[in-house]
Amino acid sequence: MTARAADVLVVGGGLAGAVAALAARAAGAAVVLVRRGPGATAYSGGAIGVAPDLDSLPSDPLSARRSPLESARRLAARRPGHPYALLGVAALEEALAFAAAELSAVLEPPDGRPRFLAHVSGGISECALCQRTQAAGDLRRVRGLVAVVGLSGHLGFDARLVASGVARRLAAGGPQALAVEAAWPTGPALAALDPAGLARALEVPGAAEALGSALREALPRKVAVALLPPVLGLDPAARVPERVAAAAGLPVAEAVSDPPSVPGLRLDAALLARLDSAGVEVLHGEALPGGRPGQRKAVVLPGGGTVEVTAPAWILASGRFLAGGVVRCGALVEPLLGLPVQASESGAAGVHLAGRPAATLTVRERRAPQPLLAAGLKVDASCRPLGEDGLPVHYRLFAAGAVIGGHEHAADGTGLGVGILTGWLAGRGAAGPVRR
Amino acid sequence: MGYDVIILGGGVNGLGTARDCAQRGLSVLLLEKGDLAGGASGGGSALLHGGPRALREDPGAARRAREASAELLRAAPHLMARVPFLQPFGTTAEEAEGAALLAGAGATRLTAEALYRLEPGLRPGLRGALRLEEWVVDPWRLAVATALSARAEGAEVRTWTEAREVLREEGRVTGVRWLDALTGDTGVARAGVVLDATGAWSPGLAARSGATVRLRPSKGVHLVLEGRRCEHVVAGAAVDGRPVFACPRGGETWIGATATDSFGDPDDLEATHDEVAYLLDAVGALLPATRQARVTRATWALRATPRAAAAASEAPWAGHALLDHAAEGAAGLLSLVGGRLAWHRAQAEEATDRVLALLGRGPVTCRTREVPLPGGEAAPEPAALAARFGVPVAVAAQVVARHGATAQVVLGPCLEDPRLRLVVCREAGLLAAEVVHCARHELVRRLRDLRTRCRLAVGACGGLDCARVAAQLCARELGWGPAQLRHELADLLEVGWRERRAVLDGPQLAQEELLRGAHWGVGR
Repeated sequence: MTARAADVLVVGGGLAGAVAALAARAAGAAVVLVRRGPGATAYSGGAIGVAPDLDSLPSDPLSARRSPLESARRLAARRPGHPYALLGVAALEEALAFAAAELSAVLEPPDGRPRFLAHVSGGISECALCQRTQAAGDLRRVRGLVAVVGLSGHLGFDARLVASGVARRLAAGGPQALAVEAAWPTGPALAALDPAGLARALEVPGAAEALGSALREALPRKVAVALLPPVLGLDPAARVPERVAAAAGLPVAEAVSDPPSVPGLRLDAALLARLDSAGVEVLHGEALPGGRPGQRKAVVLPGGGTVEVTAPAWILASGRFLAGGVVRCGALVEPLLGLPVQASESGAAGVHLAGRPAATLTVRERRAPQPLLAAGLKVDASCRPLGEDGLPVHYRLFAAGAVIGGHEHAADGTGLGVGILTGWLAGRGAAGPVRR
Repeated sequence: MGYDVIILGGGVNGLGTARDCAQRGLSVLLLEKGDLAGGASGGGSALLHGGPRALREDPGAARRAREASAELLRAAPHLMARVPFLQPFGTTAEEAEGAALLAGAGATRLTAEALYRLEPGLRPGLRGALRLEEWVVDPWRLAVATALSARAEGAEVRTWTEAREVLREEGRVTGVRWLDALTGDTGVARAGVVLDATGAWSPGLAARSGATVRLRPSKGVHLVLEGRRCEHVVAGAAVDGRPVFACPRGGETWIGATATDSFGDPDDLEATHDEVAYLLDAVGALLPATRQARVTRATWALRATPRAAAAASEAPWAGHALLDHAAEGAAGLLSLVGGRLAWHRAQAEEATDRVLALLGRGPVTCRTREVPLPGGEAAPEPAALAARFGVPVAVAAQVVARHGATAQVVLGPCLEDPRLRLVVCREAGLLAAEVVHCARHELVRRLRDLRTRCRLAVGACGGLDCARVAAQLCARELGWGPAQLRHELADLLEVGWRERRAVLDGPQLAQEELLRGAHWGVGR
């Protein structure tokens, strides 16, 4: 049994928890972060959507699209139960800039405009922040022809499908696209490798260069950018995209993927690396239930040891169903502190919905908003979870990320944006002066 | 285009009759409005004997079930699994009632000790059990194999093609007007005899054609639990005294079934929360560990039982009816309704005899009893297949379980194109090669058809890794453009969502979150 004292304890080490810890650290707090394992961030596509532009049509010019901040404002006006509406989006710009700076090893700086990235399913992802490996594929910026390159033998990526998705934005001023197949440079064992295996294979000296040379051979001269499967290395320090681009003689980018995705894993690894360099103490283990800020919190480590962390401010960034921050076992519960869970975007709906049958918290149309999948904590404007009485449970208890309800974080295009905003607010709140 | 007979409905009744008619030399067109086995054939319990309840209702059932399972074992051994049926009893009254059944049914009596040795997970306090013979068949692959056999015998099988109306002239059936749901094409097919085997959809079709079919449709809901929670079919009683059972099927456990009258639109069904809770409570009381089990989906079907008043069955057993609508001014129109999956072959034989008589043909000997279904010949050893084609043994075993002797044909292209060794779904043991084979050779028109062909996106994962890759493979085989590919992918996900949304809980809810994130752009 060992003991730690800190100013802020963060439970959860996905994007929201990491941003919260880094924001608290930047404000001068000593921070301990408890992380159980990879969560929704690791299983994301790796690009950071803030808010889809609900008021534009696919044919509207990409160059004239609303900024992510304006889209978030409009979304907040339309969905009163969404965290953007409850918290306001005033701090979003600062929060995004902070996150991008902290994670500059993998993230491209924001430029205030939305980015349009091709998705492996043939769709286009609209996002506010993207990884450096993805930036050259932003359809709003590409001037000239996009070559979508399939690797022969890699059935998971259909270049024709992705190219058709790109070409559908032609009317909106997007680039022309063509599908090309290139030979995998490093031997015939391609079918045996999953995307992460491919990514590691490209990190090996010579492999990225060989792929680049193959692209130089395979691509016509007029191509402006090569769009590749999302396998351009797991470790940013291996500089895979840069090496491929240098050998190919043109910029390369990777498409956005569905999980398990290399960009998601890369983003997750970058969080851990930055937490370490920023001086946040990360405990890889599981926080035990119960307690309130200021009390000792027991954390069980995988080896069986226990650490007791004492901190006057806690941030709950434990995610939703995937990470176990919210659990449904007959009824919806928040298992760590027993906080009330609401299962509706509607502010008036209240906590009693948590016990309702799954069938009544979902609707038949898959693509429609599903209250069950939007279940989570309700918070005040300072990101503090509310109790049954509608008041904050504790003045030094904060929440961040998907554990907060009111948005379907995995499927409405706002999940990681909410993670950054709430992480930033909670981290600053927890490190800042006491507000009652 | 003229046929001898047009058969409506791609369940086992329709497919079995199409196979038999074609085998006996008739020219056959079969129309199915959706995919194969989309109704009671694919959504039922798939138990061939049916336990004591079936025996009580029909004393001849035990003998016919023995014959039927022996026939199916010869025709398609790879689709059959023997799972003895245990009917535990907790009181002396139940024991006495069970003993009364012992005489004719070939049941054996198990002591409590023997019962708990076989099924240690049963609730404590049971005094013993009756043990009856039972077999479970893979109803999806059975329907597919029957359809492939019918086609090989010359029948034309068209899925996603609905018979809108049966056409008549001067009191005689002349054909049907059909609509292809995928292309929007319509047309008329001519035949002197039309056999309606559309199950719960029969009354609607009959009404549109000036005839009457009276059914008592019963909605049956089953839940699918992750893992094998028992090794026998174990039966118990629900809160209202009705029988419920748990049955291991592959790597899953099916629990069921509800039985409630349902006179609504057969296309507009879903499992309700009450039905889910009813089954989980009842089976939880029997096998307590199932209370912690992960429910991966709910399935439902309408079982079409002929209403007593209309049951003009001449068959020696109750349950199905072969109606002749000549008296209603539709000479040449037959309706085959109800019956049991177990003896669909015998029902089809009876219907084919009648079709031949209506056509004025002399009797032709039925051979469906002897001729194996496609894949029903001696199946290869999975280990040998795995070594020969360079695929994992577990995956080869799944291919054999679904395709039997045809497995080597399925895996053949792996030698030419090593990319087809890609394991699309580890859980279902699904190879890219199998997706390609099904798309090419097994009457696949939509992505969701692969659910019944090779269990695509049916398991607990809901299609997380496999759906998009399979869609890409299918698109390549069937010439779909990107827009159609996306449309089909969205459709497949839609079907899965409907089956899961009433049972989302625990880890399955977390899985749904992951799945929705993975496919959130699909269909927009």
